[in-house]
Amino acid sequence: MNESELDYEGGDLQKEDPLLRVEDLRKTFGGVVAADDATFAVERGSITGLIGPNGAGKSTLFNLISGFYEPDGGAVYLGDEEITGMRPDQIAQKGLIRTFQTPRKLEGMTVRESLLVAPAGQRGESLLPLWTSPSSVTAQEDELLDRAEDLLSFFEIDHLATEPSPELSGGQLKLVELARAMMTDPDVLLLDEPVAGVNPVLEEKLAEHIRRLNEEQGVTVLLIEHDMEFIMDLADPIVVLDQGRVLVEGTPEAVRTDDRVVDAYLGGVAE
Amino acid sequence: MTDGQSFLQSPIGATRGWWDDLETEERNTIVGLAVFGGLLLAATAVGILNPTYLLYLLTLAGMFTLMTLGLNVQWGYTGLVNFSVIAFWGIGAYSAAMVTAERSPLGWELHPVWGVVVAVVASALLATLIAVPTLRLRADYLAIATLGFAEIVRMVINNERAYTNGSAGIPGIPSVAEWVESPDLVSFLTIALLVAVVYLVLRRAQLSPWGRVQRTIRADEDLAQALGKNTFRFKLQSFVLGSVIMALAGVAYVHLITPLITPTGLEPIRTFYVWIGIILGGSGSNRGAVVGGLTIVAIRQAPSFIRNQLLNVPAIAPYVSEINVGALRLFLVGVLVILIVRYRSSGLLPPKREHIWSKTLEDRS
Ligand SMILES: Nc1ncnc2c1ncn2[C@@H]1O[C@H](COP(=O)(O)OP(=O)(O)OP(=O)(O)O)[C@@H](O)[C@H]1O
Ligand SMILES: [Mg+2]
Repeated sequence: MNESELDYEGGDLQKEDPLLRVEDLRKTFGGVVAADDATFAVERGSITGLIGPNGAGKSTLFNLISGFYEPDGGAVYLGDEEITGMRPDQIAQKGLIRTFQTPRKLEGMTVRESLLVAPAGQRGESLLPLWTSPSSVTAQEDELLDRAEDLLSFFEIDHLATEPSPELSGGQLKLVELARAMMTDPDVLLLDEPVAGVNPVLEEKLAEHIRRLNEEQGVTVLLIEHDMEFIMDLADPIVVLDQGRVLVEGTPEAVRTDDRVVDAYLGGVAE
Repeated sequence: MTDGQSFLQSPIGATRGWWDDLETEERNTIVGLAVFGGLLLAATAVGILNPTYLLYLLTLAGMFTLMTLGLNVQWGYTGLVNFSVIAFWGIGAYSAAMVTAERSPLGWELHPVWGVVVAVVASALLATLIAVPTLRLRADYLAIATLGFAEIVRMVINNERAYTNGSAGIPGIPSVAEWVESPDLVSFLTIALLVAVVYLVLRRAQLSPWGRVQRTIRADEDLAQALGKNTFRFKLQSFVLGSVIMALAGVAYVHLITPLITPTGLEPIRTFYVWIGIILGGSGSNRGAVVGGLTIVAIRQAPSFIRNQLLNVPAIAPYVSEINVGALRLFLVGVLVILIVRYRSSGLLPPKREHIWSKTLEDRS
């Protein structure tokens, strides 16, 4: 470690209107410090990138933010509300939706059906209304079917609607995952490597889709990606994580030319 | 294809169209059931099988089908492991026996309707009691807890003589036989109706948003949570619903099949018969659960039936009388398990399209 690295005080919290704030988040697994007092904020309406070498703790941060891991210290705020310690489903219902690094397939469901799962608080999710007010359940299902159809065409996967979801390619699964996340009408999307293993053509499309979600629907995005070209093109600002700590935060240009970032990546390779 | 079109005008053509639409598994199962049903009817017609016995077998099959349907909710829909199947059946049977039987130590002699009410409430409460602390933990804990729970239920029933009569059991449970002319037929019709109602209720639940969340939990609980589903609530509902259906099977047993319940009825091995039933039928499929329920009864009853028939043949009777039916049963089950694992690991009728709500298959573009 060099001097400048130790000088760095963590991410910039002085945003104009931060929607998601992470303060001094800490998580250890045995001897591994996966999140080491990580601090940063995501500006409302931004596409913020999160990069760092393998094992830097990016996915761990996602798990901490979305409630899948309990932090050993620190806090997470969504808007003005502290969400630390809430259950994943509670956090999701507050409008923060995350995807997983390995795409999840839903055995025995068609793509369309796997989209219908997503919206929260459906009437038919309680047992009694299935018999006491079947028509309101059906009416809501029809609304959701229309919504699913719109999203499937937005992501240009309407031809896959009746396909069983385990039979999709990796890239198609990523699109389905995005569409499913959008079914919940989220405020913040946390995307863990949305283009890993995706061919360049589809990658281009995914970038375009994410940009449109952000611009047209006002979704705030925090995304992890190893593909530098993809993330530098899409995200601004970019937060660089190394060994659980926020190393640098800045514009793509600033990050690209920062010595500490170069060191972190080279160090990661050498190890 | 044009030929098929014109055929569709006639009833035969319509039937053919329906048959062509079926999947191989569905056709095989239909053929298998038809052959088996035909054999049973033929055996009854020539007098080998007594009609009363046939009705008894079918009633028993209905009872096992209730248990497989209940377990299918827990394991097939949601992926919950329950090794307490027979304990919940026993809770149902004992609830009914204790409040209705003349010779129950409680001596309440209530109407059987109260037996049903007590069975439902008791099984729902006890299911909640074991599910609440374990469902938030890793999946294996529920399995372990249910394994222990089954033993506890059996021990309590064996030892709380003041309520259960202990190992002597509770005789004299009011039975349909006391009220009607042909109890076998009425028992069969009652259980058939019960199975039909439970089947329809479960099918509605399965094809609803509720069932969709359950299937999501089974496939990937993290994903369900990430989408904002309170998976604990859904798992609890599934576990309680399944357990209540198992208890209903127990109630049906004492009122419709045998007016006596003893703790030996709660042998743990019966839980595994039910498991074999749904694995054989196809986990997740209600139709598969029905086929599984029928198969369990066939396997459990066939050895003693065939043995009795062979005893009538003087030439081989001495050898046949040496056969231990209990051992043969276990042997057959073992062979069956090996065959399923080898040739049909997803069961005779895996859910496939059954799960998928037809509207999600429509061409909407
Ligand atoms: N559940 C866990 N149990 C034990 N160790 C874990 C767990 N999750 C993460 N870790 C460890 O924490 C560190 C950070 O892992 P994490 O998955 O967050 O890295 P990442 O930045 O997402 O890496 P990648 O780019 O390879 O996905 C690693 O050393 C990893 O082994
Ligand atoms: Mg990762």
